[in-house]
Amino acid sequence: MTQFITAFFSGSSHGAIYALVSMGLVLVWRGAGVVNFAQMGQAMFTTYIASQLIMHKYSYWIAFVIALSAGAILGSIVDFGIMRPLSGRKKSAILASESMRTTIPVIASLGVLGILKALAGIIWAGEERGFPSPVSTNGIKFGTSTLAFTAFDLFVIGIVLITLLLTTLFFTKTGMGLAMRASALNPEVTRLSGVRIKSVRTLSWAISGAASSLAGLLITPSTNLSPNTLDLLLIVGFTAAVIGGLTSLVGSVIGGFAIGYVISFVNVYSSPENVFLAILLFLLLMLFLRPQGIFGTKEVRRV
Amino acid sequence: MFSIKRIWTKSLFVSLLFLLGLFALGKTVGAYNQSQLASVATLFIGVLSVTLLTGASGQISLGQGAIMAVGGYAAALLVLNLGLSMWLAFILAIVIAAVAGLLLGLAAARLTGPYLAGTTLVIALAIPTLANRFESTLGGDVGLSVDVGNPPAWLGKLLGEIGIEQWQLFVAIPFSALALFSVINLSRSRTGRVWRAIRDNEVAASLHGLNVARNKVIAFVCASGLAGLAGALYGFRGIVGPSVYPIDLSLALLTGAVIGGLRSITGALVGTVFIVFLPDLIGKVTGVFKVSEQVSNYLPALVSGVLLLLTIVINPAGIAAATSQIAKHRHRTK
Repeated sequence: MTQFITAFFSGSSHGAIYALVSMGLVLVWRGAGVVNFAQMGQAMFTTYIASQLIMHKYSYWIAFVIALSAGAILGSIVDFGIMRPLSGRKKSAILASESMRTTIPVIASLGVLGILKALAGIIWAGEERGFPSPVSTNGIKFGTSTLAFTAFDLFVIGIVLITLLLTTLFFTKTGMGLAMRASALNPEVTRLSGVRIKSVRTLSWAISGAASSLAGLLITPSTNLSPNTLDLLLIVGFTAAVIGGLTSLVGSVIGGFAIGYVISFVNVYSSPENVFLAILLFLLLMLFLRPQGIFGTKEVRRV
Repeated sequence: MFSIKRIWTKSLFVSLLFLLGLFALGKTVGAYNQSQLASVATLFIGVLSVTLLTGASGQISLGQGAIMAVGGYAAALLVLNLGLSMWLAFILAIVIAAVAGLLLGLAAARLTGPYLAGTTLVIALAIPTLANRFESTLGGDVGLSVDVGNPPAWLGKLLGEIGIEQWQLFVAIPFSALALFSVINLSRSRTGRVWRAIRDNEVAASLHGLNVARNKVIAFVCASGLAGLAGALYGFRGIVGPSVYPIDLSLALLTGAVIGGLRSITGALVGTVFIVFLPDLIGKVTGVFKVSEQVSNYLPALVSGVLLLLTIVINPAGIAAATSQIAKHRHRTK
């Protein structure tokens, strides 16, 4: 029973972080038609910035805000500097072919990932370093027994829920959110109704960058920070996004929690070595049974 | 139109030229460059698998390194446990990796673009962890130690003394030439044309009566066979283990293929030479400027990342296309 509770709690708090990563992926996929494999590279980079600020005795919260803004800026730079020129080159022979249209941006994002990792290595050296958490990471005392649930876990879940709430409000209650939803649905019509599609696109990169930057800040207290630590988070986030259908924000959050529980139960009941295989099995199973995801709509081809 | 016979003779000629050229180079350069050339010959097969899969059939795989691992472990286990000859093990590694590719391809044929990239990335990360899962047979993190052994005595008599690095190169060369020969013919064959049709417009291809899913799977099988061969040769430099086939290997193959030119076989060779010799080149440059180790360690990754991005944004068809375009331009202005 205690094992079950441990797995449940750690699944919830990690699942919340995976939900953020997955939401970041879905935002860019919906908004710009790119699955951004550099996303956790961006998060790694901004977490290093935060870590550097904290080392120079700035408060955690200043570092926190700066890291999130840096994430948004980095996301916009990737869109502005790479993805926008790419989408303007539809006439080149390679980009003209149907299958490469979504593949080439993927390769570009891998290039960005490589560059960010190398830069982080050059600037901050490759070795692992710790990253502080703003609240205690010891188990909460309940009477005489210590629960497997920490104040930090509560903090993570709380902050992720607030983020999700704000995102939902943004998309449903503001004009900009409406524009973003519209351009995800039908870019051409949205453009004709006077929305500046390109800026909307950059905005989805920025929001996604900030969200993944937050995920980086929240996961590193338990994993440490190095240029490669967040790779795992990317594939977990991707799996979560596929479970949710890659186009649905709600689905991505549910997918995040689902994969969080899968990983923590495998960790507790089996062994950490099997985590990758579990993710792979879960992903393949999902792709075979319901490739469009829980909330995705089946792709219809038009000739 | 090329007649079939002409393609056969032409590709045979090119492959033999490649074989003799590498061989001649291997006789003249020192031990270090011999081992670098062996890497070129080996990784060329891997890059060709990307050229075939992504360039010709339009499917992206970030998991070619994992398929290389399958080939490597298969060959190593066959040699160590069944005592097979290395040459036979290499051939069987092609078959075993192709079977793995068949399974992967069956899953992949249902996936497009980003889904495929993500799934193969997960595979690239998951397969090496199998080494720990079955530690007694696969040797865990350390891996299995295998090598190409010693050159046969008659070859030593024929060519003079053959060093270890040189022997590694000589083992890799014929396989590399064979791979080149098959890829040239494959991409010029009906199958190659079908792949390109599917790549450029799936709906149009299926309306022409082509079986899209089956041809995509065939592409995966062929590319995996090549990757398995590359993996076996790559592992027989000393160790077959998870550290030999990291995710970075998959990405390096893709980088080489893209920079050289995704749709060109010459481009694949240029790209392979690029990824193998880039660290040396940068080492020479940084040696002059005396940069710290921290910088020089990560500089090759930085440079290849930047070049990858520049290639995609400025010249997506790669170096090969750029040079052929310059040649065309000259021709026109004359």
